[in-house]
Amino acid sequence: VKLTLPPRLSPAQFGTAVKAFEGVVGKDWVMAADADRDAYADIYAPGSEMEWPASAAVAPASAEEVQAIVRLANEHKTPLWPISRGKNLGYGANAPRMPGSIVLDLGRMNKIIEVDPVLGYCVIEPGVGFFDLYEHIQREKLPLWMSVPGNAWGSVLGNALDHGIGYTPYGLHARNICGMEVVLPDGDLLRTNMGAMKGNKAAHVFPFSFGPSWDQMFTQSNMGIVTKAGLWMQPAPASVLGLSLDIPKEEDIGWVIDTLAPLKISGLIDQSIFVPSWLGKMVLKGQRRDFYDKPGAIPEARVQELLKEHKLGYWHVVVRLYGEESVNKAKAEIVKKAFAKHINTPMAEEWWRTGDPIIAVDPTMGAPSAVALQMGDWVGGRGAHMGFSPVVPATSAHVLDQLRRSRKIIADHDVDFYASFTIGGRFANNINMLMYDRDNAEQTATMRKLFDALVRDAAVNGYGEYRTHIGWMDQVASTFDFNDHAMRRLNEKVKDALDPNGILAPGKQGVWPAAYREQADKGQRT
Amino acid sequence: MKQSLVLILLTLAACSKTPEAPKLAAAPVGPPPPFLLYQTRTEAPSGDRLTAGRNGAALFSNNCGYCHLVGGMGTNLLTKQRLAAGQPPETALLVNRTDLTPDYVKSVVRMGKGAMPHQTKVDVTDAELDSIAAYLGKAKK
Repeated sequence: VKLTLPPRLSPAQFGTAVKAFEGVVGKDWVMAADADRDAYADIYAPGSEMEWPASAAVAPASAEEVQAIVRLANEHKTPLWPISRGKNLGYGANAPRMPGSIVLDLGRMNKIIEVDPVLGYCVIEPGVGFFDLYEHIQREKLPLWMSVPGNAWGSVLGNALDHGIGYTPYGLHARNICGMEVVLPDGDLLRTNMGAMKGNKAAHVFPFSFGPSWDQMFTQSNMGIVTKAGLWMQPAPASVLGLSLDIPKEEDIGWVIDTLAPLKISGLIDQSIFVPSWLGKMVLKGQRRDFYDKPGAIPEARVQELLKEHKLGYWHVVVRLYGEESVNKAKAEIVKKAFAKHINTPMAEEWWRTGDPIIAVDPTMGAPSAVALQMGDWVGGRGAHMGFSPVVPATSAHVLDQLRRSRKIIADHDVDFYASFTIGGRFANNINMLMYDRDNAEQTATMRKLFDALVRDAAVNGYGEYRTHIGWMDQVASTFDFNDHAMRRLNEKVKDALDPNGILAPGKQGVWPAAYREQADKGQRT
Repeated sequence: MKQSLVLILLTLAACSKTPEAPKLAAAPVGPPPPFLLYQTRTEAPSGDRLTAGRNGAALFSNNCGYCHLVGGMGTNLLTKQRLAAGQPPETALLVNRTDLTPDYVKSVVRMGKGAMPHQTKVDVTDAELDSIAAYLGKAKK
């Protein structure tokens, strides 16, 4: 990737800034060659990675080094784009929103500072990956479980900070954060919650501050750089009972949601329940061309044949109950009864008990895996994906409404339909995976048009996305338009107060500092 | 669950006969085995990440083991590719390959290949990559 300088910075000024960063972290941890810029390009970019180029990357080893870099960034007016491990694949990976930003790679800050098996929490740095924490827990034989996302290659904190979701009772990852250490845009160092008191012993167990609580302000945010945080963890359950069932028809998702959501809201089911459509299984069975070798979406008749051939339902439900065996048994009877009202097929039971081996590729069992990324191979070539992810209230009316509209738009663009609903409480995250071959220009162009259309349509109908690719941050942010974009006005007022030079992640989530506001997508700001 | 566990145990038993060269279950062409146990990576060897000469095998396991151990995403995709190329499935595990050169390993790690993203120097330092390339690059040059 050729060098794109940050806005208004001369080559000489850029060179001076790079030298200054080297003074903090050492020459080896400032990466500014063409090959380095390649390595910080979005591997799944829908189109050219030159749309979101980094100018360089700098990798600090401590909060003190982060502070020093942030102060220098203010002095030299070099915008920084912090990443934890940069594996946010499908949402921009390690690439910055604003061209020319310097990636602040926190991957070297990978200390597991504390794990408390009694109170069930850990304190970790942003470079700690899901695999690192999982293996640490196994080696130390600690009675704790993790909640992992589909792609668990990345950072535990990075995923939580980006509102990532998992499939266990601790599936709302941002909710698990308790007590952060944050470097503010002026280089100051803050601890939130009880940690605001020097030496406080309850910094990672009590979820509020004395006064306003700022934790969530630093998630999906460019208001500060989280250098460590507490994260609540699930006590290892004595047993896990899985109840699984293939659901035959597409429209059945309505009663499935109406059956599961009340059980989730009441607390009888405590996991975040993942309900994927059939393609979720098929992408692991082979490549698209093994099943349908023509361009364009797989026709409905062929879909029905494939479901028969591979003995799949349109949807697949696995409810997992975590805890004491006797409690799980009692809960299972209630879940089974609720399903029996709609379907004759009994739910299959699958028990896991303490000491049983853990299956590697099942995120509901808390073990990290990157196998979900195999879906990239479905389309062949340099396969990639983007997720269109609106949040809908967890009732059949809303779920079917969103499903029918997004289904039609995706079909109109002649693209395969791969949806899932994850019931996290009173809502479901409706993730639609859009898979494409990066080297197929026509396919990526279609994806972009399709994505635009999906975002627009959802907003018009009263639904918004919970997370998006860097290329659509402005567009999605602009759909949050109540009272002439009051939320954007607040975000940017706070941003300008905390970050007058606008050096921290300009454009993150559509929040632009005054210094770089002209870089925003103008079409989204009229 | 019981049936699949038996499968896993059989797989593990098959592996344990040749501990020096891990083998995949001789799966037929098509999907990977449905259930696999979690493969724990080796801990990162101690020492300065910028210094040459750290243990290549341990560095490979720790840095590449997310995807390139038994049952990993990379191994699964490579199984399909190797079978399609008429090669035995165990060559999907990079440690079993005898035709890789150190330069090829370095190029793929830095430039990416197919579904594999390029790795930054924070992911793998040049010194670490040298050790990994020497370990995997059995074909030498």
